[in-house]
Amino acid sequence: MRHFEQELEQLKGKLLEMSALVEAAVQRSVAAVAQKDRSAADQVFRDEERINALEMEIDEFAINLLATQQPLAADLRLVVAALKINTDLERMGDLSVTIAERAISLLSEPVIKPMMDIRHMSALVESMVRKSLDAFVANDADMARSVLASDDAVDSLRTASYHELISYMEKDPQNIPQALDLIGITRSLERIADHSTNIAEDVLFLVKGIDVRHHSEVR
Amino acid sequence: MRHFAVELEELNQALLEMGGLVESSIHCSVQALVDRDERMARRVIEDERRINQMELDVDARVTRLLALNQPVARDLRLLIMALKINTDLERMGDLAVNMAERAISLSKVPPVKPLVDTPRMASLVEDMLHRSLDAFVKRDATLAAQVLPADDEVDSLRDKIYSELLELMQLNPTVVPAAIHLMFVARNLERIADHTTNIAEDVIFLVRGVDVRHHATENRV
Repeated sequence: MRHFEQELEQLKGKLLEMSALVEAAVQRSVAAVAQKDRSAADQVFRDEERINALEMEIDEFAINLLATQQPLAADLRLVVAALKINTDLERMGDLSVTIAERAISLLSEPVIKPMMDIRHMSALVESMVRKSLDAFVANDADMARSVLASDDAVDSLRTASYHELISYMEKDPQNIPQALDLIGITRSLERIADHSTNIAEDVLFLVKGIDVRHHSEVR
Repeated sequence: MRHFAVELEELNQALLEMGGLVESSIHCSVQALVDRDERMARRVIEDERRINQMELDVDARVTRLLALNQPVARDLRLLIMALKINTDLERMGDLAVNMAERAISLSKVPPVKPLVDTPRMASLVEDMLHRSLDAFVKRDATLAAQVLPADDEVDSLRDKIYSELLELMQLNPTVVPAAIHLMFVARNLERIADHTTNIAEDVIFLVRGVDVRHHATENRV
């Protein structure tokens, strides 16, 4: 194996490590909400440092790779995609922290509604995170496309939950603070799904050479 | 092959042009909200296509410069930064479009409250964006560092808007849907400020070699 390919494998390995951390953070932040689990939220706060450190490490690694190996064509696009994916993953980590923070404020309150939709949404989102990174590592366009399909499902779940929460607020003003937290949580989950979609779009660009960003009809 | 410096300058201009359009989208989306002007909001939504096209163009430029010039050291970092700024700008454009969509919904219902802090927040954020891009093209870390304190001001305006809206909703639940739109507008402006902070931090890193990302304010020079 060429030296460059070895380094590329290392870069992919680091991104996989980061995505595993992010996936766990999403899962834990939602457990903190749905099961009122403070220790899960605390773990999300602790892991944020590791995710931030990995982001900087991956940036440095990719920049050094560009400087020392001077890759061209497909290899160059791969390293550029890795830099973008890195940014998306770090932002997903931040969004998990936001969810965990809201979980803490919900700990002491009696729940106004069952959390089934949030769990359902989060299961979908976690699988999008995993699949988008698997698609990147395996150059798998079909898997990347399946991520794009899930994004629409997440959006409809979010819209349904949004309308439901609005009606809770209109019914009883005492529900308002908690409903706002829950709206914020579903919004964060939707954003995490959007970042997975970015990654999947980058993968499609790498594999098929077509830029599907900003062209929903190509999906 | 054209001179690297010339192409870099063109890249700067492309980012500035995109930044100008994003700045105007932010401004017009909030103005549309305040004036209940649906036509202005629709223009912001139309401009998104141009912003998206500019994003693709900047990415292509950077990739070409990396391939043809194989830059090292500072030039390489500069190009990577341009990629990151490009992502930040495109996302700010998305957030402006989201505000424009909310302005349209809100133009169809009675006003919840006079909007004073929201346009103030918008002009702070526009100024942050302007200065962070200026700092980038001038490679001026001092200018970049001046962007960072405004972020706290933006955060406290957002908190103020949130608590006022919360109170209004609790007094009168019929305003809930409209008040939530206004909360999201404040949140979007705060996110836009965060993106300008990202740009400013990147400039400081580029010029001084200090990574201020993920560090507390005491490290912000």
